[in-house]
Amino acid sequence: MIVNRTPIRTSVNYGINEVDIQDLKIHSKVVEFNNLTILGDSSKFDIYTNDDNNQVNRKDLVYGNGKELEEEVYEKANQNIKIGVNNSGTLNLEFELDDENKCLIDNINIISNSKKQATIVIKYGSDDAQEYYHNGIIRVDAKENSRINIIVINLLNEKTNNFLSIENILGQDAIVNYTIVDFGGKSSISNYYSNLIGQRSKANINTIYLGNTEQLFDLNYIAELRGEKTDVNIEVQGALKDFAKKNFKGTIDFKKGSKKSTGNENEYCMLLSDKAKSKALPMLLCTEEDVEGNHSSAAGKVDKKSLFYIMSRGISYRDAMKLIVKAKFNKILETIKDENLKDEILKEIDTKLD
Amino acid sequence: MKTDIEEINRNIYDIKNKDEYDFKIKKGLTKEIIEEISKQKNDPEWMREIRLKALETYNKLELPTWGPDLSELNMDDIATYVRPKTKMTDNWDDVPDDIKNTFDRLGIPEAEKRSLAGVGAQYDSEVVYHSMKKELLEQGVIYTDMESAVRDYPEIVKEHFMKCVPMSNHKFVALHAAVWSGGSFVYVPKGVKVEIPLQSYFRLNSPESGQFEHTLIIVEEGASLHFIEGCSAPKYNKVNLHAGCVELYVKDNAYLRYSTIENWSKNMMNLNTKRAIVGKNAQIDWVSGSFGSHISMLYPMSVLNGEGAKTEYTGISFAGKNQNLDTGFKVIHNAPNTSSVVNSKSISKNGGICTYRALTKINENAKGSKCSVSCESLMLDDISRSDTIPVNDIRNDDIEFSHEAKIGKISDKTIFYLMSRGISEEDAKAMIVRGFAYPISKELPVEYAVEMNNLINLELEGSIG
Repeated sequence: MIVNRTPIRTSVNYGINEVDIQDLKIHSKVVEFNNLTILGDSSKFDIYTNDDNNQVNRKDLVYGNGKELEEEVYEKANQNIKIGVNNSGTLNLEFELDDENKCLIDNINIISNSKKQATIVIKYGSDDAQEYYHNGIIRVDAKENSRINIIVINLLNEKTNNFLSIENILGQDAIVNYTIVDFGGKSSISNYYSNLIGQRSKANINTIYLGNTEQLFDLNYIAELRGEKTDVNIEVQGALKDFAKKNFKGTIDFKKGSKKSTGNENEYCMLLSDKAKSKALPMLLCTEEDVEGNHSSAAGKVDKKSLFYIMSRGISYRDAMKLIVKAKFNKILETIKDENLKDEILKEIDTKLD
Repeated sequence: MKTDIEEINRNIYDIKNKDEYDFKIKKGLTKEIIEEISKQKNDPEWMREIRLKALETYNKLELPTWGPDLSELNMDDIATYVRPKTKMTDNWDDVPDDIKNTFDRLGIPEAEKRSLAGVGAQYDSEVVYHSMKKELLEQGVIYTDMESAVRDYPEIVKEHFMKCVPMSNHKFVALHAAVWSGGSFVYVPKGVKVEIPLQSYFRLNSPESGQFEHTLIIVEEGASLHFIEGCSAPKYNKVNLHAGCVELYVKDNAYLRYSTIENWSKNMMNLNTKRAIVGKNAQIDWVSGSFGSHISMLYPMSVLNGEGAKTEYTGISFAGKNQNLDTGFKVIHNAPNTSSVVNSKSISKNGGICTYRALTKINENAKGSKCSVSCESLMLDDISRSDTIPVNDIRNDDIEFSHEAKIGKISDKTIFYLMSRGISEEDAKAMIVRGFAYPISKELPVEYAVEMNNLINLELEGSIG
């Protein structure tokens, strides 16, 4: 199935306009998913779950992973969640896939009312036993002056296909920060779209990915700046081991009217094996004069000097490598305040790099 | 507050000659037309076969599903072969007056006298003038038109023609192979250093026609060459098509510098293909200025096949009203320790669209390779468009790769700084735009600076208000 198309196509020969996932079938029947844990200040949020069908958002995504996967969410979702942010607070949603909950199709709708601040952690995890399936949509409607931090953690096993579409709409002075930890999945296909309509709204995305074995990561991040003085920052750091592959597609699109806006995009891929493959398509699109857009993209192996320095202190090659990767990821990991969660991620880095 | 930056003054390019020709093929593209072109050109059998095979390929291939909209182009309206009323000569006096005047106005004979080792001039589909300094001839350098090369050096041509760029590469290169006419052939023997540049100039005069020149350059081991290509056409209301093909072979330890100043008229579809295969420790440098044409799709490519091969690309494009310039650079690192440096600039104004579309590919075997890409786009108003669409495909870990791009307008701070030093606002802006283009213009040969100045004649008019 062809998924995750870029907003603008380039030469077909480059093989980056979309990604083809073999043997992917839309589920005809989906059973219940009962392994969701909600933690945190749940009293500060209005939470509606599956029961209330009227609360399901079926509005077409502007981009998304593709029509078929989108339809699957509207028709088959076994977790429909609507969250209204009425007071400032933190909320954790932890989905854990296992033998009794093999398939998760979630539709999460977050509406942040004006002047509210909240942090919502959404974690997708699984045991290692078998192949599972995840397909989800996360939508955020950030009203004026609200500030929302979303942390998405993907620690699914490496047999499972993971699909996620994210769509945000930002009102005046709204700030939406994402921290995405993308470690799991046989194929992990994610689409992120922010529509910065409100003046002075701001979208930040900080992503780390870590691939080993034959994992495939396809990241398609799109930000459209429409309001005046809006600001977008995309920061993607990653490392690829073994035969892992990554496609990063980042688009910053300055639409007419986005005067005095800025957009920055920075992507760095550490290559830890000579069989790993890294593709990047950092796009800047611009139809407005008075804006400033920058992107940079780089790739390379771990700095020999740093490696030598650390090893000269009696640390093994493997541990030195882990230290360097963790150091690179640290800036982004620091946005996660939950220490337990951070420890879990650091442990996962150790496991993957062993 | 806006300062108007004038578009290029095209007067000297827009002077049209009467559409006089010796032979103009029927419009459109059929097997009969290809056969007729082949007959008119006295092709050997093998070339006729290439043309017919290319036509088949052309019919099979689809238009690209990306890039600028090409729907204005209707091949049934384009005459693919127009033979001017003259024979090729090596004496400007033998060139008919109207054609000679055209090249005079473009400054070609003058430049030849002053600073070129050889000149080729093509008018519509055929080369009308070709000559080279005697000393080079004595060193075994061959510089001639493609037709003579097919006739006189069939073995070399057969070995290289459409081998660097396969005709199945895309629809317009297949079209080129089917109807190609004119162009230059250069052969620099082993170890020969050609100190002064050679130049070919392509002029398309006839309306509703196409130019499909083929340039084939072979720089043998340890040899070096600087080749300059210029193109222009007067403006007509109907669409003209340029689908040339440039094949460059830079053998081990050789050096080639390929400079292009393209200033087609604003009704031209410029769908050109350029590619170089670079051998061990050899180097190809591209200098490219794109100013003209209605739509351009032009992505020169370096294939670094030999260990230690190098390439540099320095390009600028300037898109004004009704122009869509989709250009960029492609490089494939296909051997260890290869390196590439890319520096691209673009300016969009008056509704023009500039797109930088590129590919950097570092293959598994290209250990120790380095690549650095930088592109900058300047937007001069808010009705224009500027896009950057680069693909980076990295397939081994022992490399250094970096890419950076910037989009923006002329910085208010810089203008303020210059004005605080007593420079007027117009002068400050002019200075900044010239400074922006400088890294490219300094790479151009001095002789071309005159033409370049004509082209980015960025005179700022005091329309501040």
